[in-house]
Amino acid sequence: METLFKKFMAQFEGRVLNVRHCHGIPVANVAKEDLSMMARYIHQDKAMHGTLSLLWAVDHRPCEDRYELLYLFTLRGYQEWMVLTIDLGGEERVFPSITPVIHAAQWYEREIRDMFGLIAQGHPDLRRLVRHEHWPKGTHPLRKTYAWNSVLTREQGEYSFNRIEGEGVFEVAVGPIHAGVIEPGHFRFSVAGEPVMQLEVRHFWKHRGVEKLFEQKLLTAGVPLAERISGDTTVGHALAYCEAVETLLGLEVPLRAKYLRCVFLELERLHNHLGDVGAICNDVAFTLAHAHCGRMKERIMQLNDQLTGSRFLRGIIDVGGMQVDLAPQQFSQLIGELDTIQPDFTELEKILAVNASLKDRLETTGLLKVRTAWDHAALGYVARASGMDRDLRFDRPFAAYNLLPVKVPRYQEGDVRARMQVRIDEIHESMRLIRQIQSDIRPGPIRVEPTTMPQPGDWALSGVEGWRGEILYFVMAGEDGRIHRCKIRDPSFVNWPIIQQAVMGNIIPDFPLINKSFNLSYAGNDL
Amino acid sequence: MFKMIKKSLKTATVTGQYTSDSDNAPPVQCTAEAKRKAKPFRKSLTIREVDTGSCNACEMEMNALTNAVYDIERFGVHIAASPRHADALVVTGPVTVNMESALKDVFKTTPDPKLVIALGDCAINCGVFRDSYSVTGPVDRHVQVDIRIPGCPPKPTDILNVLAELRRS
Ligand code: SF4
Repeated sequence: METLFKKFMAQFEGRVLNVRHCHGIPVANVAKEDLSMMARYIHQDKAMHGTLSLLWAVDHRPCEDRYELLYLFTLRGYQEWMVLTIDLGGEERVFPSITPVIHAAQWYEREIRDMFGLIAQGHPDLRRLVRHEHWPKGTHPLRKTYAWNSVLTREQGEYSFNRIEGEGVFEVAVGPIHAGVIEPGHFRFSVAGEPVMQLEVRHFWKHRGVEKLFEQKLLTAGVPLAERISGDTTVGHALAYCEAVETLLGLEVPLRAKYLRCVFLELERLHNHLGDVGAICNDVAFTLAHAHCGRMKERIMQLNDQLTGSRFLRGIIDVGGMQVDLAPQQFSQLIGELDTIQPDFTELEKILAVNASLKDRLETTGLLKVRTAWDHAALGYVARASGMDRDLRFDRPFAAYNLLPVKVPRYQEGDVRARMQVRIDEIHESMRLIRQIQSDIRPGPIRVEPTTMPQPGDWALSGVEGWRGEILYFVMAGEDGRIHRCKIRDPSFVNWPIIQQAVMGNIIPDFPLINKSFNLSYAGNDL
Repeated sequence: MFKMIKKSLKTATVTGQYTSDSDNAPPVQCTAEAKRKAKPFRKSLTIREVDTGSCNACEMEMNALTNAVYDIERFGVHIAASPRHADALVVTGPVTVNMESALKDVFKTTPDPKLVIALGDCAINCGVFRDSYSVTGPVDRHVQVDIRIPGCPPKPTDILNVLAELRRS
């Protein structure tokens, strides 16, 4: 491990100001002026082949009067992580933008501008992202000087959409409230004739100030909030949060609890993927498949309820282990259920595979090229359908995945069909994993109690492959076991800008279909 | 085609395959006033769902109501695509600063007489998001709420129970 980081260090011998390791992740502090050059090297060097996975800021006040910016890169092969950091001391409010070099930084830098008032110099698009136009000027909620329960006043303001002008070009505005039972978001299409020339996504209608809410919490009390960031990913978020906090507290979770966490993460993947396969079919008017999938999804939800008392698996994971255990007969019940659902689903899958009209609508629709996916550092099934075989369960195993080798599907086509196929493969893989866990798991304790308190300023990063993709948590400890800063990155935040590329050239009636094939969370994106 | 028909024939009826433990269900606050307002919609109720900042689990349960197991349409309940066609608004989530005016607009565009149902703890009292700088308050701070369905999220059976209660009015 760390061979690529060593290569980086050898390349910039003497220019890196300071190197340390934070719970196993190498962190290099560099000068502001060197940042773009180093980022470019990590991103473009053939051997490093790094993608930007997360970019976030920390306000160190009141301890120190400085802001810190952190850049997490995932290096070639997706197994190695490294962090670059720069400091902004005193009155400094400007930092160099890396967006011109690394496209994936675009939304992150806009977000930092909104939340901290730090400006990315050289960024091509500094419009507001999180703050809607009616927020008063100078409101930067994640600054430590801003009270978490402040009341926002309203101002007049207008957001300027990207415009395409010319004969026959018209705009179609959709949202924030949509026709289906889905979350609010705004889509602005520019169309000439049928094909979409441009789509601009305008989100953050649901911004609830989650990261600020975390800063009011004790490290050990954040799980209920994490579970409610994106309801469909309850387990994924709770697990990612717990993994970060457990690293900070130096807790070694018992093996049985780790296995149980995997079981529930896979159950969550199952019910969501089953629902998605049906919903994709529904959007091309193949309602029969939708009805069958809905029925299977509901069985898993009811099973969740019977096993844990919550259809969304809430309140089962906690810092230090699990709140619920599964008795042997519950395991048999679970496996019995899978044994009936799997052949049922396989039968449906065969119907889907040979349906000509389905094929016609799904293939070459919503094309995401391998190169575009890589430039945006795509995640989850979106990445795996476009040639990137990244999956944290395999690349950086968490919970018990080091004992459970995961087969990661990968397709090159990058269309709706490929994204559906990845899900279908993963449904079978999840069932296989749960069966393997049943035969491997041994009795034992399911939780440990925290004994130590982390040093203020200590931080940990964790990554969990939720059903939608990679969920990252950065948790920094504050005074008395509180949280100083919690940065959350749902895969939706990365994949939303990508959808703007994937719809280009498609017709508007296909947008719901493409959107469904991405199925991103608005709540997880808006935080 | 043949396979499809075979699959349909093989699959037994699943509608109604759920256990509704009404003993454990949270208390429903269905006032006499709400029942009176619901009277015209006893046989047919068209719902428009509005999300003002939920975590999306409440939406998923609303969606679950339309699957073959719960099949809410058999009770004459229909989910409409536009508030203009709706008899009732089902609102989920705390009202965020960015959604406040959208909620008020939707309320205005829904024809009278109308019901407002606050679905889930967030819509009733903001839940875990209470007092945040970007949350303006629960739904009843902005529009008049007639029926409250608590839970995080409320189970589909809980929602069905409330709707059944309204039908009995
Ligand atoms: S009540 Fe619970 S499930 Fe519903 S939106 Fe709020 S947090 Fe999510």
